[in-house]
Amino acid sequence: MSNDDQLEIEVNGVTLPARKGQMLIEATDAAGIYIPRFCYHEKLSIAANCRMCLVEVEKAPKPLPACATPVMDGMKVFTASARAISAQKATMEFLLINHPLDCPICDQGGECELQDLAMGYGRGVSRYSERKRVVRDKNLGPLISTDMTRCIHCTRCVRFGQEIAGIQELGTTGRGEHTQIGTYVEKSVDHEMSGNIIDLCPVGALNNKPYRFSARAWEMTQHASVAAHDCVGSNMFAHVYNGIAKRIVPQPNEAINETWLSDRDRFSFEGIYAADRLQSPRIRIDGEWRDCGWDEALSAVAEGLKGIAADHGPEQISGLISPSATSEEHFLFARLLRGLGSVNIDHRIRRVDFHGQEADPVAPGLGMTLADLEAQQALLVVGSDLRQEVPIAAHRVRKAAVAGADVFFVNPGNYEYLFPVAGYLDTTSSSIIDELAGLVRAAFARTETRPDANLAEVLAAAEVRPEHEAAVAKLIAAERATVLLGLIAGRHPGYSRIRMLAAALAAATGAQVGSLTEGANSGGAAMAGTLPHRICGGAAAETTGLNAAEIIAAPTRGMVLMGIEPELDCANAEGLLERLADTLFCVVVTPFATPAMETYASVLLPVGTFAETAGSYLNAAGEQQEFSGFATPVGAARPGWKILRVLGNLCAVDGFDYVSAAEVTQALAAVCEDSEPSIENTGQLAPAVAGFDEGGLRVPIYAVDAVVRRARSLQLTKWGESVPDISKPADAA
Amino acid sequence: MGSEGSGGPVVFSVSGHVNRPGNFEVGLGIPFRDLLELAGGVRDGRKLKAVIPGGSSVRVLPAELILEANMDHKSLQEAGSSLGSAAVIVMDETTDMVRVLERISRFYYSESCGQCTPCREGTGWMNRVIGRILAGRGKPADMDMLVDVANKIEGHTICALGDASAWPVQSFVHHYRHEFEHYIEHGCSIVSQQSAAA
Amino acid sequence: MRIGYLYKTLFLSELRAGLGVTWRNLFRPKFTIQYPEEKTPQSPRFRGLHAQRRYPNGEERCIACKLCEAVCPALAITIESEVAADGTRRTKRYDIDLFKCIFCGFCEEACPVDAIVETRIHEYHMERRGENILTKDKLLAIGDKYEAMIAADKAADAEYR
Repeated sequence: MSNDDQLEIEVNGVTLPARKGQMLIEATDAAGIYIPRFCYHEKLSIAANCRMCLVEVEKAPKPLPACATPVMDGMKVFTASARAISAQKATMEFLLINHPLDCPICDQGGECELQDLAMGYGRGVSRYSERKRVVRDKNLGPLISTDMTRCIHCTRCVRFGQEIAGIQELGTTGRGEHTQIGTYVEKSVDHEMSGNIIDLCPVGALNNKPYRFSARAWEMTQHASVAAHDCVGSNMFAHVYNGIAKRIVPQPNEAINETWLSDRDRFSFEGIYAADRLQSPRIRIDGEWRDCGWDEALSAVAEGLKGIAADHGPEQISGLISPSATSEEHFLFARLLRGLGSVNIDHRIRRVDFHGQEADPVAPGLGMTLADLEAQQALLVVGSDLRQEVPIAAHRVRKAAVAGADVFFVNPGNYEYLFPVAGYLDTTSSSIIDELAGLVRAAFARTETRPDANLAEVLAAAEVRPEHEAAVAKLIAAERATVLLGLIAGRHPGYSRIRMLAAALAAATGAQVGSLTEGANSGGAAMAGTLPHRICGGAAAETTGLNAAEIIAAPTRGMVLMGIEPELDCANAEGLLERLADTLFCVVVTPFATPAMETYASVLLPVGTFAETAGSYLNAAGEQQEFSGFATPVGAARPGWKILRVLGNLCAVDGFDYVSAAEVTQALAAVCEDSEPSIENTGQLAPAVAGFDEGGLRVPIYAVDAVVRRARSLQLTKWGESVPDISKPADAA
Repeated sequence: MGSEGSGGPVVFSVSGHVNRPGNFEVGLGIPFRDLLELAGGVRDGRKLKAVIPGGSSVRVLPAELILEANMDHKSLQEAGSSLGSAAVIVMDETTDMVRVLERISRFYYSESCGQCTPCREGTGWMNRVIGRILAGRGKPADMDMLVDVANKIEGHTICALGDASAWPVQSFVHHYRHEFEHYIEHGCSIVSQQSAAA
Repeated sequence: MRIGYLYKTLFLSELRAGLGVTWRNLFRPKFTIQYPEEKTPQSPRFRGLHAQRRYPNGEERCIACKLCEAVCPALAITIESEVAADGTRRTKRYDIDLFKCIFCGFCEEACPVDAIVETRIHEYHMERRGENILTKDKLLAIGDKYEAMIAADKAADAEYR
């Protein structure tokens, strides 16, 4: 043995390497030797209650559970000897005696761990001729269906709540045969990652409620994709039948989402098939809306935009694009608008403070991988309702805290966190800026640093309290410390001040700075150049155009909107619909057609959602992930990059000859280089804002973009009820 | 006090068909006959049939085996049972062993915590089969199946309750199989027939 | 050899042998069936036109498990399922394409609730394009019309299955 930790065991006559402290089943799984199991899961604690993994170990008087037997040097194990198989078959028989004969009506049929193991370890004909026990079903909410008679009490769902989610929403009541898994009181399971228990449940007791009864596992095709709602970019698989997406399941990726998916990523696809999906291009002629063909619509767009440029000047054209559009869409959008002569392009539609944007990092993000985030020892989270903004990142932070990290929050409100928090600075009666200033002053005092002139002005009125000093002490002491700016901070009217203070704090305490970013692809958008002050690749533009806030405050005569519902997705949107209605020519490239759009748009172009287009996302960890569409586009919808390509050609702009999405990706890659996200102190500050309701900057988890807002099941959950009913007309709000 | 390997006193809780049930603090190793005498002997002058010497979890011993044994670890183990919790249950000739086993198996079915599969499911199974035999609806294949189920629980559980639920079934069937088979064949207890014949 | 060949050719011996067969059979009892007035005996196991059955209380048997669709060697069955109004699992669409079907009876064998069966009906025709697709309502109608015959046939064969 070269290493003290390494040892050797013998399994079925084959010598295997193992590490001290490992369980037997981990060693055999690593070697590809299969031991049947139900309650064991790599990400959960060991329960050893199913008794399916019983194996014969030499010199042991009875069979031992492989998941709860630590490896010992030289132990001899037989996983398929007569004794082992007899024990495994015994367990299987016991599981089947009370299990209902539901396979034909159970959604898990065809992908059921119990079915698969029963094939190998079950009897042909049952010998049980008594009555089977029955369990009443529970209502756990709109996402998870229950058929509790099928439950085999593996307790994976219970352990998930305790260990992964951080709140045990399911537990066992009763004992013996009357054991029931449930919430004890009538309550739904509300955690934002609760959908994962659908995957964990080895039988059909907990199933996907929106998907109930709609398809069988063997008749769907599986397509890899990437989640399109937050900056983490969880990997997922879409299961599709006849071109219609039926459900989403996680794709394991240890670096990003491990084996989990947030509920938002899992159930949002329902929104793709909403009733108000735009099925064909629409055009408004003389105040009347009608459907039309693509040729007519695209020609009208090209003429309209060229007309505005000719009659009023290209500076009268602006474009706003969703931060969740693909990098290819951003790339072509920017190129199209610049080709028309406009530089008023932006994707940062929730940001209001653009002071110092020259110092924005080329690709904003965490500055580290999610695994690094989990490994931090001290974390100061500024302006973020983590669990609602980025559930997977919140889970990583939770893991860090459980492992002993000191996590501090500076937030305008008491947001619930399911892990031990070292300090919580509630800024409801002060402000994020004041609290940050206090922290910076405490840090400077501790490290005996002197602020420069700009910073001194901001720190002037700062009050240092013991909580500030406690947080600063931890940040300094920790080897791996990070100041994390959340989405609320990014939307703040004093964001430039927050950024300056965060950078100063990090510099003084030796911490890193990272940001969470809006949508799924702010990083890709920044690299692709949908910015007024930068071109593709991050270099500065020759002239700086209007930023998102300026465009929203005063829309130009010609507008191109892509993938957004401006009244819901933009900051300071009061009166925006009226201002848009006053524009001369407004092109809306959108998957959904709302009554509001018909008041201000001139042409509506149906675009494919993330499920119906190919493209790539750059996540906050700096990883570029490419994906292809998995669902057949609804109606006449086309992928966004194709619409932009044809528009580019019609507008006679160079460089729009792409045939496939992959070509666009390559073209984009050729122009961009890797960049380090950094936050610098430029000294350009927004004026101080007093008495501002920072809590109003929070966007509820299921209100972040158009597709999620239309996912019915998510809107029926506890956190979804805060979203206005999409079916009501805009003016009846 | 006590005997070799089982030293000191012990409190025997004697219950069942005795004249003076109660708790008796005596030295370990006391011969069973003496303990029975302390408890006043079998009630109504009846004949001893079977004894569970250490709580329901230990194996039952027919009269001929227990009467020769001393109440300590070694002697009882040699006889085929064990000292257990020293709760002695005395059963006379009027006892229907199938009914006793049904009652004992119902205890384990009720007390099972439900954590591990063999005990959670198996105790209910055994209890139901025994109940069915008791109700006169037993089938010949039930006997071997019952023992097989008990064997499949033993040694496969997280705690000893699984083993404890299996031992009574194994030992009752081992010593009193004829009573079960009588139920299966005739639908009634062998004891009622015997007392009717007597 | 040549003599034998000459004899056979001159005296038409092979022709006589053939005619002899005809002559002998002229006086034997015939086994020709005068269809359609007479029919050959038919086994209850005969695999003919499909039907969807119901339970005696009128509830349709089919629970959209899709086992028949999965086992069909000719991929003749197409099913779409949904949560029905009463919360049960029911088909939204159940089509059997009779042109693809090979009448093997696997669907009937696979069905766990005896919903899809093959009846003894082999006398049917289609008049218009598209009638080869038996939809759910057609299958249920056939099942309703012939339930007595279907039930009797399945009962007759049950002990062998």
